[in-house]
Amino acid sequence: MNNPVLLIVIPLLLAFLSVIIKKAGKWLLLVGLLFNTALAFFITTGETIIGGFAPPYGINLVVDQFTLVGVILINTLMLITIVVSFDLVGKYSIVLLTALAGINGMLLTGDLFNLFVFMEITVIAAYILSAQAKKYHHTITYLVIGSVGSVLYLLGIILLYNLTGSLNMADVAAKLPLLTTKELLVPVLLIFIGIGVEVKLMPVSGWVKGVYSNANRLIAPLFASVIAGTALFVFGKLFVSVLPVSDTLTLLMLIMSVMTFVFGEFAAFNQKRVKNILLYSSIGQAGLVTALFISGLVYAAVILLISNVISKLIMFTIAGAFTEKYETDDYESLNGVFVHNKFTGIAFTIAALSMAGIPLLIGFYAKLNILIGFFQAQNYVLPAIILLMAIVEGAYIIKLLLALWAPGKEGQVSEKSFAVEKKQLLSVKNTIICLIVALVIIAGGVLIDITEKVVTDGQPLLGDQSPSFTISQSKGGE
Amino acid sequence: MTLITVLITLLTLAAVTYLLSLVNSKLGAYFTIVTSLATIVMLFLIKDSIGQSYSLSFFTFKLTTVGWYFSMVMVTVYFTTAFLNPFWIKKMIYPAAYNLFFLVSLIGTIGMFFARDFITLFICWETVVWTSTFIIQMGKSRKSSYVYYVVSAIGSMVTLFAMMLVYQVSGTLEISTAFSALSGQPVLALIVFFTFILAGLSKIGIFPFHVWLPMAHGSAPHTFSPVLSGGLVKMGAFIAYLSVTAFAAYEVFANTFTIMGIPAPLYIIMVLGAISIVVGTVMAIRQDDAKKLLAYSSVANGGYILIGILLYDQIAFAGGMLHLISHALASATAFITIAIVAYRTGTTKMSELGGMIHRMPVTYTVYLIAIISMAGIPPMGGFVSKWLILQGLADRGLLFLAAAAFFGSIGSFMYVFRPLSAVFLGQLAPKYEKIKEANIMMQIPMYLLTIATLLVGVFPNVVLRVIADIQLEAGIQEIVLVGNTIVVSNGVLDALRVFIVFGYGFLIALVIFILRRKSRRVTLMDTYTSAEFIHTPELLHYSSNFYAPFERLTKKPYPVLNLYEKVSIKIKEIGHMAESLFSSSKPAITIFWIIIVFAIFFLGGVL
Repeated sequence: MNNPVLLIVIPLLLAFLSVIIKKAGKWLLLVGLLFNTALAFFITTGETIIGGFAPPYGINLVVDQFTLVGVILINTLMLITIVVSFDLVGKYSIVLLTALAGINGMLLTGDLFNLFVFMEITVIAAYILSAQAKKYHHTITYLVIGSVGSVLYLLGIILLYNLTGSLNMADVAAKLPLLTTKELLVPVLLIFIGIGVEVKLMPVSGWVKGVYSNANRLIAPLFASVIAGTALFVFGKLFVSVLPVSDTLTLLMLIMSVMTFVFGEFAAFNQKRVKNILLYSSIGQAGLVTALFISGLVYAAVILLISNVISKLIMFTIAGAFTEKYETDDYESLNGVFVHNKFTGIAFTIAALSMAGIPLLIGFYAKLNILIGFFQAQNYVLPAIILLMAIVEGAYIIKLLLALWAPGKEGQVSEKSFAVEKKQLLSVKNTIICLIVALVIIAGGVLIDITEKVVTDGQPLLGDQSPSFTISQSKGGE
Repeated sequence: MTLITVLITLLTLAAVTYLLSLVNSKLGAYFTIVTSLATIVMLFLIKDSIGQSYSLSFFTFKLTTVGWYFSMVMVTVYFTTAFLNPFWIKKMIYPAAYNLFFLVSLIGTIGMFFARDFITLFICWETVVWTSTFIIQMGKSRKSSYVYYVVSAIGSMVTLFAMMLVYQVSGTLEISTAFSALSGQPVLALIVFFTFILAGLSKIGIFPFHVWLPMAHGSAPHTFSPVLSGGLVKMGAFIAYLSVTAFAAYEVFANTFTIMGIPAPLYIIMVLGAISIVVGTVMAIRQDDAKKLLAYSSVANGGYILIGILLYDQIAFAGGMLHLISHALASATAFITIAIVAYRTGTTKMSELGGMIHRMPVTYTVYLIAIISMAGIPPMGGFVSKWLILQGLADRGLLFLAAAAFFGSIGSFMYVFRPLSAVFLGQLAPKYEKIKEANIMMQIPMYLLTIATLLVGVFPNVVLRVIADIQLEAGIQEIVLVGNTIVVSNGVLDALRVFIVFGYGFLIALVIFILRRKSRRVTLMDTYTSAEFIHTPELLHYSSNFYAPFERLTKKPYPVLNLYEKVSIKIKEIGHMAESLFSSSKPAITIFWIIIVFAIFFLGGVL
């Protein structure tokens, strides 16, 4: 029963069903998500052949520990997002079910062309979802840039097929050492840019601002944590285990990633609206995650990815609630909004502090792993950049938190009466969900040995060689 | 009782305080007094087990004398300040959170002083930073809270870099052993030294990181300013201590270029300390807000502590460590008295006050004793510690540093005198005719701190014996103490004798005071305007433009905060540029960049 194919097939089946039974769409979506999330915990590592043709000719689904983490995480996050914003699902249940199928396909597939198909399914669903804000200009932008990305990816795999005669990931990886860097340059680059559109790397992330900043409580976390998380998992899988390129290419991709990171954080520092801060911070963090994958620090990258998508889920949900209730998400006009919504505020604060890398939250554990990994690889420049960016990041997060918590102008002692008018941001159910997710952030940062066990299950991810921080390390001489 | 039990007990008490505060915030505020008192008791209980190590999950601790000493200083400040909490708690926007963060920051400092490995040190350090950031925002300025966090973050992130670098080189995170791997690598050692000490500099408020002190001290809730100035800045001194003991800067840099017999890197930091003394003193004199004035004086005093500790010898080190406690006591007292004045009058602006001695004689006396100590006048604690530091500097012939220290000592007369005369002396404004003296509860911390200041001043050897233990632990020559006398190479100091001499002087002055002709009281409005109506009596108040001639002398624009603002603006500009260049919503621009990226990749691939 625990066949990973079901993760893709059941949502698709339910999507067809919800075309027929339109009224039950919302509930079918919930059933599909519950099924997927439950199944994700039961699938085991291994290979599933589809269609009876043995790979490399047939299509297969590959489940390793890395994919497993991705599948469990992404399905759970999507379930949480939908449960929180169930009232907003409306007629989007078909699209969401299709997206769910596409996302699981992207994570599971072991075939490059199959990946393209699933990516297209997901992205087309994403186009439709982005139209929810009725800002069609941004949707068109997304459509154009997204299509360019898809085409480039397709071109890339065609060239790769030409070179290796295969589209199966494991097969391509095995044949890759026979090729020279010059031969690989174009296909790898095309794939990098193509995936980069969804990962939100800097020169090709023009669509992000328009789409994210107008998205509502349902769509924003869906984009920022579910779809972005999936794209990053796929990126990791491709560039760590399928196309582990060397020298010049690595360096150039690393530069692009780091540029995304630095400029993303700087741009976030310049923003006035909560969602814009968050989306540029997402771009920046995505750049860092790709930099880590390219440098081979897989474990650190996965932890950072997890901490980031969890934080963004909470923060974008609450940011969506800002626009919903106050019709603005400019943090200066939301002065003291958490005075009336303390628990929502606490969840938001924990998520934000984790992003800023405050100790005992999972973001700090991620940062520690990154630093240890880079230093172990004798790389001193990137840690310096990361720590300098941590200052910038801390600065804009604290500025945001201060504005949201402490009402009053400069020179006035904070008082409740200065705060914006009282409105309930999230329902009680949603606040509790956000708090539970925030609790995961704390638990992940405190119980680090359990975090490591859950994520890696004792084996290195994708042949990861980098070190990780463990409890015994701090005890040093004992 | 182990340290772990202490910390867990304290965390439990903090949680209890929080829950109580949710029910009744005033009750919770009283509980902060109880908890900090419990901390003092428990610290005395664990004093016998100094030298032992403990661990809990990834936290490891080691009980050391120096950690114990720092913790005692810290908890004394917290305990005495906690007496003010019940009176302000109703004014806080988040009373329960205030009580919780107040205690958590205390626990964080204690954990930090006993930390055995870098991760514990860093975690406790950051805990203190963010809890205090959230407390400061409850005051009257969000910007100061922001600046405080950013300056702290600069320090802590750079220090984290140093910690990880050391870990990579030595393979251990244990503070005492990790640094030893650097001995053969001068360049690496240099990087680690400057990056490691940065957190300390930013916390203790050394130039150019001092910008946060006047902002944060000046606008934090009145009940937290004493803790910030008396307590939390001393965390920086602990980092300075680590950089000469665990890092062993004198040994590591023994073969490098020396200035006046001191390794150049250390001398550079000491010069920064000297600059802080001068800048802090000059700026303190110029302030109109009493809290900002005291904050700048903390900058200056931080310089003394830093220089004393970094000299790391028999005399000056003892002086630095003693100055730690005498400044903590004096500055906490001064901030508490100003807080009480603000509680009664609602302002800390000196030009709006005056004549408080008529209404608050106890507060006045307590403030007087505190500033005597702060200015380094005998017979208070500040005198002994400054005397030791100056002895140490003179001994080693460190002319420039000694000049700065002397300048600071003399300048401190000017700045501590200003609040004294502007707030407490002079004419009482009519609107303050009805105000009352501080109530008993508020007087308790004032008495406690005053007694402590006097004790340190009259019997400094009680504290110096602990400092001698620290010197023993650190492996340097201990300060020579004979009975009640401190023996240094240039002479001896018997603080008790000094006290007796000053006591005689005081008695003579008292006799003259009692016998003299009674002065006639003149009210503020009873001025010399010949019955003409005054629109702005404040401007005629003698404390407005108090040191006008001096201020004209030092009227140069003050560039450092501008530097931070400039950096911030530059970052925003780059962010804006990146946003419009690389993140444009026009697809055509995206395509353009894709082409550029391809071109670069091709060139890179060919080259």
